[in-house]
Amino acid sequence: MEPWQKKHILGIKDLTREEMETIFKIAHSFRELSQREVKKAPALRGKTIVNLFFENSTRTKISFELAGKRLSADVLNFSSNMSSLNKGETIVDTIKNLESYHPDILVIRIGYSHSLINLSQYTSASIVNAGDGSNEHPTQCLLDMFTVQQEKGALEDLRVLIVGDIMHSRVARSNIFGFQKFNSRVSVCAPPTLIPYDFEKLGVEIHDDLDQALKEADVVIMLRIQKERQQESFFPSIREYVENFSLTPERLKKAKKDCLILHPGPVNWDVEISSQLKEIVHPLILKQVENGLAVRMAVLYLVGTRKREYEISD
Amino acid sequence: MKLAIRNAHIVNHDKKIRGDILIHNNRIETVGEVREKVDKEIDAQGKYVLPGFIDLHTHLRSPGREDTEDLYSGSRAAAKGGFTTIFCMPNTTPALDNEGLAQWITEQARSIGLVDIYPVGAISKGRQGKELTEFGGLKKAGCLSLSDDGDSLKNSSLMRRAIEYAKMFGLLIISHCEDKTLSAGGVMREGAISSKYGIRGIPCASEAIMVFRDIELTRYLNARIHIAHISTQRSVEIIRAAKAQGVNVTCETAPHYMILTDHDVEANNFHGNWKVNPPLGSHEDRAALTRALAEGVIDCIATDHAPHSEEEKNLPFEEAPCGFIGLEWAFALSYTGLVKKKVLTLGQLVEKMSYNPARIAGFSDKGYIRPENTADMVIVDLDCPEKIERTDIVSKSKNSPFLGREVQAKVVCTIHQGKVVYRAG
Repeated sequence: MEPWQKKHILGIKDLTREEMETIFKIAHSFRELSQREVKKAPALRGKTIVNLFFENSTRTKISFELAGKRLSADVLNFSSNMSSLNKGETIVDTIKNLESYHPDILVIRIGYSHSLINLSQYTSASIVNAGDGSNEHPTQCLLDMFTVQQEKGALEDLRVLIVGDIMHSRVARSNIFGFQKFNSRVSVCAPPTLIPYDFEKLGVEIHDDLDQALKEADVVIMLRIQKERQQESFFPSIREYVENFSLTPERLKKAKKDCLILHPGPVNWDVEISSQLKEIVHPLILKQVENGLAVRMAVLYLVGTRKREYEISD
Repeated sequence: MKLAIRNAHIVNHDKKIRGDILIHNNRIETVGEVREKVDKEIDAQGKYVLPGFIDLHTHLRSPGREDTEDLYSGSRAAAKGGFTTIFCMPNTTPALDNEGLAQWITEQARSIGLVDIYPVGAISKGRQGKELTEFGGLKKAGCLSLSDDGDSLKNSSLMRRAIEYAKMFGLLIISHCEDKTLSAGGVMREGAISSKYGIRGIPCASEAIMVFRDIELTRYLNARIHIAHISTQRSVEIIRAAKAQGVNVTCETAPHYMILTDHDVEANNFHGNWKVNPPLGSHEDRAALTRALAEGVIDCIATDHAPHSEEEKNLPFEEAPCGFIGLEWAFALSYTGLVKKKVLTLGQLVEKMSYNPARIAGFSDKGYIRPENTADMVIVDLDCPEKIERTDIVSKSKNSPFLGREVQAKVVCTIHQGKVVYRAG
């Protein structure tokens, strides 16, 4: 393997297919580490990671925190609601402040889309994007694809369907760019109000009929729907949304037998997915969580040990 | 006091001659050959003399945000850019919505004396879109035009009253066209780029809808209207059709809409310096705007000079304020982007920056170099490549998407009311 070059992980847009494959390989070995009795490696000993969360998050933050700790890094958590900050200038001030502690990696979640590249000029640390507005959530995409690779054996030539609030979803965008890099075909399915303008220019197929869209899919990613979207009139009611876009046992029958159902969590049961399918779909969704830890360890490891030869062999 | 400009290429929108100009106090006395002795001479050999530029759309931030611009720094920026008359928009704090405040601006501008500043009065009190301001009082205080710039009047009935009532005073209504219910939350043009990055977009329909509404009201009331900073192909098409039907509508666009697009926003990583309202459009919009300018559908170029502090422009794109400074390089950018690229002739550019704005504002003695007109003129060097540098900015606002860009022309001297108010160092 080539030595890792990228300083930041800002989005799947900026990663090459080769870099993604490297992440999957490293993640694979870290998955095993987490199954051992002593779940710790000294790879990032002496490094400082700051989890900088300007938006609420429990799951992603826990996952990143544990990933850093399993690699023996010192992990600091900083959470602040953006609305309680005095807009963006304090975000810059916060980053400059933390810079005084010479952190090695900043894991940032922020409400502003594609804002991290401009923030990166205020720190010498590597930045790992833990979700920026509606732009990208690269580690979610990497863990989704890592899971698909395990289940399907390969990532090429798949038909991937993403269902739900495409417009506001960073998960959707990262997965579109990710799967496309492996020559998989990505479709999205949602009410037209939740499809971004001119979205077909990204090379995705657009559907509004879930029954039709499900037929050819090898992988289905069900997105979490925010109930506030109803108040903004993106759809008239949760009831009508569920009627048209919820994954039900009847609908699932129309899909291929070996179709994978993913969800970034947490699931609104009986909204995105019928609770009758819990036993069928939940195991894989929980596996995503487990893979998420491995993928985040891989990402932290790679940016944290950049320009060094890997200690892990192929 | 007599001042002669000698050996110049004198360019009016319809005619170019070589010769001298004699200025007596604040008036032009002779255009052609000047033999008599004068108090002062400027040799303009190899340079071009144009009627002073008139900007129908600037923001001078006074009162309220003098940290970003004031009437003096704004006047200096204007003079440096070759502008001799500018109109400042009323979105100040407090809003420029009454006779007293308008009078204050008029008097301040006169005592600074670098350029003529005409306050644009607000249409509605506090720019709240609820009640009309006292148009008569604003006119007495020096306003020639009214606008709620930054906001469209949401209430169509109030807009109707404004257009009707303004007739009585011969005031020009300038309309900022934006349906805020459509643009709300948007920070750039809605399209493939905003969608790719999950950035909330402003649909081009938000401008077009209001352009159409205001034109329709103007037609219905047999009045006139000036549409500010148009930025979309659809607005051009609507205005073109209205003009063909004889509606008394004029419009402006700004240099940045003819040079930059939403691709530049992407290429510059969504830095706040590329954020403006209306937002930068698509390649198709840019092509349509330059074509419309050449064809005369767009009457003039205005700067929409909108100073902001660097601190604010460095905020994340979604939080950064909208607007670019524009006075200092409007001519250089337009010359480089339009005349050099043969979209416009130099005469047409003079029409867009001097002659037409003068007609729209109602000046009979500005915008054309001829005897008896006000001696407002600008001397430019059309063969002077230079880079736009931060250190050259005289505006208080030191940010611009054009920093580092090379331009081919330079304002070397600005004469306002017969006095040299700017000379390139």
